[in-house]
Amino acid sequence: MATSVYLSNPSVTINSVDLSDQCTAATITYNVEALENTAFGSTARTYTAGLANNSITVTLYQSYAATETEASIYSLVGTTTTLVLQPASGAVSATNPSYTLTGAYLESHTPINASLGELSTIDLTFTGGTLAKATS
Amino acid sequence: MYVIVSPRLGTPGDKFQPVEGTNIDALLSAGFISTDKPKKSSKVKAEPVEE
Repeated sequence: MATSVYLSNPSVTINSVDLSDQCTAATITYNVEALENTAFGSTARTYTAGLANNSITVTLYQSYAATETEASIYSLVGTTTTLVLQPASGAVSATNPSYTLTGAYLESHTPINASLGELSTIDLTFTGGTLAKATS
Repeated sequence: MYVIVSPRLGTPGDKFQPVEGTNIDALLSAGFISTDKPKKSSKVKAEPVEE
């Protein structure tokens, strides 16, 4: 039987800080650059693996309270850190794998991103680093 | 030795054991952890028995 995923309770940890309750969206992009190695005699383009170029994007509600979003993120701009994401909170398993991006760089942050009558949110993109998947 | 201050990292008072790549300076500057010694257990000495 086909299964589908409905993520309502994922776990999002940025620099060891659990920000799951401020997060509304998260995307991991596991990417290994394709290097073309097509040569004379080939009838189709071919590629080989280059460097990994991973990234994680998250959307968080902004909060300026102590040890909340702004306090967690502001000092990370221009540095590298580690992010851990899981489809659901709870123990890591084959059906609830953990994805750890180590050495991810945060280039920019929008401390104020507000519109009248709306909750303020921030979109962050962490790039680079090594992605590891754990099932236990 | 770092101690957890914010419950977003774990139980406040416990020793903080960072995963590889954690930006410790950011956590210290924002007050998530401190360099204090962890709390001692709340053992109460028994009163001496008088004979």
